Amino acid sequence: MIKITNLYKNFGPQTVLSDINMHVAPGEIFGIVGHSGAGKSTLLRCLNGLEGYDSGSVKIMDREVKDFSRDGLLELRSEMGMVFQTFNLMSRKNVFENVAFPLQIWKHPTAHIQERVMELLALVGLESKSHERIGNLSGGQKQRVGIARALALNPKILLCDEATSALDPKTTGSILDLLDDINQRLRLTIVLVTHQMEVVKRLCHRLLLLDGGVTQAMGQTEDLFLSPPENLKKLIDEDYMLIPGINIRLMFPRNVSQDSIVTRMARELGVDFSIVGGKLERYHDDILGFLIINVQPEHLERTIGYLKKQKLHWQLMEDGNNPYPHVAPEV
Amino acid sequence: MDQSVINKLLENFLYVAPELWEGTLDTLVMVLVSTGLSLVLGFILATFMILTNPQGLNPRPRVYNVLDVVVNLLRSFPFIILLIAIIPFTRLVVGTTIGSAAAIVPLTVAAAPFAARILEGSFLEVDRGVVEAARSFGAGDLQIIFRVLLPEAMPAIILNAAVIGITLLGYSAMAGIVGGGGLGDLAIKYGYNRFQADVMIYSVIILVIMVQFMQSLGNYFYKKIR
Repeated sequence: MIKITNLYKNFGPQTVLSDINMHVAPGEIFGIVGHSGAGKSTLLRCLNGLEGYDSGSVKIMDREVKDFSRDGLLELRSEMGMVFQTFNLMSRKNVFENVAFPLQIWKHPTAHIQERVMELLALVGLESKSHERIGNLSGGQKQRVGIARALALNPKILLCDEATSALDPKTTGSILDLLDDINQRLRLTIVLVTHQMEVVKRLCHRLLLLDGGVTQAMGQTEDLFLSPPENLKKLIDEDYMLIPGINIRLMFPRNVSQDSIVTRMARELGVDFSIVGGKLERYHDDILGFLIINVQPEHLERTIGYLKKQKLHWQLMEDGNNPYPHVAPEV
Repeated sequence: MDQSVINKLLENFLYVAPELWEGTLDTLVMVLVSTGLSLVLGFILATFMILTNPQGLNPRPRVYNVLDVVVNLLRSFPFIILLIAIIPFTRLVVGTTIGSAAAIVPLTVAAAPFAARILEGSFLEVDRGVVEAARSFGAGDLQIIFRVLLPEAMPAIILNAAVIGITLLGYSAMAGIVGGGGLGDLAIKYGYNRFQADVMIYSVIILVIMVQFMQSLGNYFYKKIR
């Protein structure tokens, strides 16, 4: 669906994207993840030609974006919807008119527009608001209008630029549900840019981690979160007050979270653990969890031995006063 | 006040009333026509400016710089000098250099670059995100100007149109120099040259009312469509 090879882009002397390679399969939800300024929005805009690129190749459905004529590019964009962090709706038009706008630009017949807009508003749950002014809507409702507008032209690909970053957690959840629903119902390919880990975990099948315009990691979301590379760790580490002793983060892949692994380990080893923190999280279609346990130094080796034997994902946490820095995390 | 003074004032007023009425009409025609024309010309100019502006839709810095200099150049002329300097051009366009029609040409030439600058500013004020959204579903540059920038900037444009109209009302007083007529001309002719202070006061009162009216009209439509 989307194939990027050896992509480079500069703003003047500054390189903003460096040797990016990625592909997105049809129907996939692909995340571009990174801190602000990592170049992720620029990468997204290379996909629909809102930004040019200096070298390399961006192919959308086997067509090189750079090779499009002016009109061809407009045509390409009509096949790709885009959703924005700041919604970018026209404040002087009402809900209906905003959603109808792309259809008017492409000169669809009025009767069809009427029908299509109401269909889209039903999809995003805003049928009753069709004549509401944009200013009277909540953030979540505005983003629903933004999504309806992005879907108006029946795109094959939906680009989301920090679509939930301006929303509160609860609203974010409902927008993510909506995107998930759209992905499954319309078999729509979604590329989303975000710095919010809950968005990535909840929605993305695969992800690309970007920092300073350079690929840091790429792969299945689940794998990356179970054994995160250094750069991803920085983004996902929650702040826990670690207690003296050795803190180990255990990560549970599918099925394991149901088994009471810690109590079993305690029983078998005859060792007591303190629990520092933990969480179960909903990933795309799975539930994954992690648990941070605290072990006394004298029990460390046996514990690690047990974890290795059970083939569990784990890592020692850096708490600044780790007395065993030489014990490298291992998977 | 002495009855005879009031009678005298009334007599004078009745005497100049037809001329005041004619002046009011002349002023209205000059101001409305030149405001309308300068908005149209200004819009055409602003279209090129917003297209070529370095922050615009299709940046062409060289072309923009030329437009920028031309607009600044035209705006730096004091109106009274422009009025006289372009007399040949005025004759070419309307075939005469006296009367209201002849005044409309320099008024338009003076206000068009002003209007262009104001429209360009209003277009630049439109949220860039909204423009990007329109691009993202394949709107072309002209569609963005006519269907995004123009409607989104309309409230600001209406307020600015009132400013342009009021500025031209002020300029139109100078149109008397080329026999343009209007209230300003009347005030100068009677009030200044013939020491008939009352006529000057009448003219000024009408001008004040016109300014108030134009501003209120602008405010009304601004509120209505915002």
